[in-house]
Amino acid sequence: MNITETNPVTIVTFLIYILGVFVLAGISHRFLRTGGFMGEYFLGGRGLRSWSLAFAFAATATSGGSFIGYPALIYTYGWVLAFWIASYMIYPLCAMGVLGKRLNQVARKTGAITIPDVLRDRFESPALGLFTTSTILLFTTCNLVAQFKAGAIIVEETFNLPESWGYSVGLVIFATVVIIYTAYGGFRAVVWTDVLQGVVMGIGVIILLPVIVNQVGGFGMLVQRLQERPPQVVTSLPGENNDLAYLLNPDVELEGVVYRAGPSSLVAPRVEVASVAGMDRPVLEVLLPPAETVPTRAVQIIDLIESDSRLSSLVSLKLAYENDGSGQLQPQALMRFIHPEAYLFGPGRRSDGLPFHPLGLAVSYFLMWAITAMGQPGMMVRLIAFRDSRTLKRAIIIVTFYFSLIYIPLVFIFTAGSLLLPYIPAESADKAMVLLAARVVGSMGFGYAILAAVFVAAPFAAVMSTVDSFLLMISSSIVRDIYQRTMNPNVREKTIRWASYVTTTVVGILVTVMASRTIDFLQYIVVFTSSGFACTFLAPTFLGIYWKGMTKEGAISSAAGGLGVILLFFLPTLWDAGRVNLMGFHPVLWGLIASFGLGIIVSRLTGPAPREIIDRYFHES
Amino acid sequence: MAEYSEVSKQPRDDPLYLNAWREAKLILSIWFTCLIYTVGVCYLYGYLSHEPDPAATGPSVGVLAGPLDAFNRAPESLQVPFGIGMPDWVFYGVGLPWLICIIVTWWFCLFYFVEDDLGPDLRKEETR
Repeated sequence: MNITETNPVTIVTFLIYILGVFVLAGISHRFLRTGGFMGEYFLGGRGLRSWSLAFAFAATATSGGSFIGYPALIYTYGWVLAFWIASYMIYPLCAMGVLGKRLNQVARKTGAITIPDVLRDRFESPALGLFTTSTILLFTTCNLVAQFKAGAIIVEETFNLPESWGYSVGLVIFATVVIIYTAYGGFRAVVWTDVLQGVVMGIGVIILLPVIVNQVGGFGMLVQRLQERPPQVVTSLPGENNDLAYLLNPDVELEGVVYRAGPSSLVAPRVEVASVAGMDRPVLEVLLPPAETVPTRAVQIIDLIESDSRLSSLVSLKLAYENDGSGQLQPQALMRFIHPEAYLFGPGRRSDGLPFHPLGLAVSYFLMWAITAMGQPGMMVRLIAFRDSRTLKRAIIIVTFYFSLIYIPLVFIFTAGSLLLPYIPAESADKAMVLLAARVVGSMGFGYAILAAVFVAAPFAAVMSTVDSFLLMISSSIVRDIYQRTMNPNVREKTIRWASYVTTTVVGILVTVMASRTIDFLQYIVVFTSSGFACTFLAPTFLGIYWKGMTKEGAISSAAGGLGVILLFFLPTLWDAGRVNLMGFHPVLWGLIASFGLGIIVSRLTGPAPREIIDRYFHES
Repeated sequence: MAEYSEVSKQPRDDPLYLNAWREAKLILSIWFTCLIYTVGVCYLYGYLSHEPDPAATGPSVGVLAGPLDAFNRAPESLQVPFGIGMPDWVFYGVGLPWLICIIVTWWFCLFYFVEDDLGPDLRKEETR
């Protein structure tokens, strides 16, 4: 089975899919000629029906994080990810059911077409409108950079582009496709392609599940095969082609592997078993001669260990995936062996020895997915775009079934995938989905090569469907919330039309430039931006539509306070330090407490809210 | 103008607002039940160790939860219910409640959710 290149049949099928996306954009562009441009371009005329609402919502929620970042975490940490993602069991009901109907009604009362629009009108506060718009610009741009990275990886790996320039070219190709169809087609193109992409994602996962699991011997063998895997650690260092997988031999007790700088007199690398203070088990110590005089290649360590019977009785070495061992080694902190049980139980184990999913984070992530989803403006805007209550009701049921078919099967697929494609270092684990689909499935025969295109299209679709709606959200923020509502209310429709096209394109190009630097673990950026959005938008929106006592001052304090906590708690990450996990909880929990708390306290102090606002939004008219 | 009830002379609350609030309260209660059950089952029966989080700022909630070493799982105790390839703690802590949530969501949408009229869209009204 050749898994170093993608089958050409897969590439051709994938290109046909991209063509289909362009055709949809072209058709939807024709709708822009009917009705008001602004409402049509940014909201699709508030006419979404059940299936389009369901898939528009699901496809936006199912981002590159779900199809690239989440699989990478499963690949790295195993079954604990089923617990990590568990609140998706209730996600559609929370994210669509709590705010959906009421938010849609409030938006209709003022003709709002963006979420800052809703908040500005509900609280009669242009300041709140501008503040929330700025927040959208900040966090959406961060998220888009991560999504563009995911898109670039998919193109790079699918088209077998060389590592030296493949990412850059992949990025340009991805950006061109998504910017053109989003700018040209607007909201309706985004929704239609979301439906297409949602179907592709669903089919991709449903078919990929039995194909991959059968490769490891079926469902019955999956856990057993994982249990039989030797303890291992993939050492990955800055630079290319130096990633080594160390596999611990049976009955050997070693804590991990450490690369240390040896004395200046050392002229060749040396491997020793050494004790470390505070550790019960010894470590394998790789002493490196000074790099400036005698650089050590990864492949030398393999030769060294294989030629020494004492060392080879302890560990066996493999080159990590797509790695020829020619790269240079450098001193590196201790990386611990990951034992197979860590892959099957919580809390999951990181190579630095820390637990992946301790109790505080377990509670936080259950809150994170289902509750913070309610506060994502990219999804809230779908909730002001549907046609009637029946549409919402049906869409919740559809999305519930849809997510069930995606998120748990992905855990099966990527725990099995870690057996089929072993030794991808954590820093490159974001490639696991594409490599598994394009290379492993694509190499199984002609029919599978076509299927592989569907599997590659699934994450590509996930990324595109998120990027297109986020691009549109940024351009609507600039054109509608800043330009039309703040600077020039009497702007002509023709000007708006061109401003929308140009803004969407310019934002897309800017994000492409920002994404040209590669980033590790896409999922962490997705989590940061989701937290920021939720802590800014959820409390003012929720309290604004359900609590008569919420005042303008309360809403501004709530949005600013939640945002402030998130930025403050994530601030240390700018210096490569860990974020502040107060008491072990994720910052999103504290951000939401601050946001809701400030909203209620400040509203109590500044209330009551004006009578005419309460009449307009809470009383029968 | 708001409509006022004859008895109290107080304006009547919008029925959609009342229905949506009633539905929101139930949904949040279901979410909270899922949180308690899933985190409880998975943390108590699915973890090899119940150590405090070393990356926590300040006292970790894992410490406040008290010593739970008695619940540490032994790797060899792992079961695979029905041979579906899913560890037992995931099956009971995530898979089973997920199935129940599908049924509850279906019930909620078909029997509890009220199909309220969303009212006119001001933007469309103005366009006309």
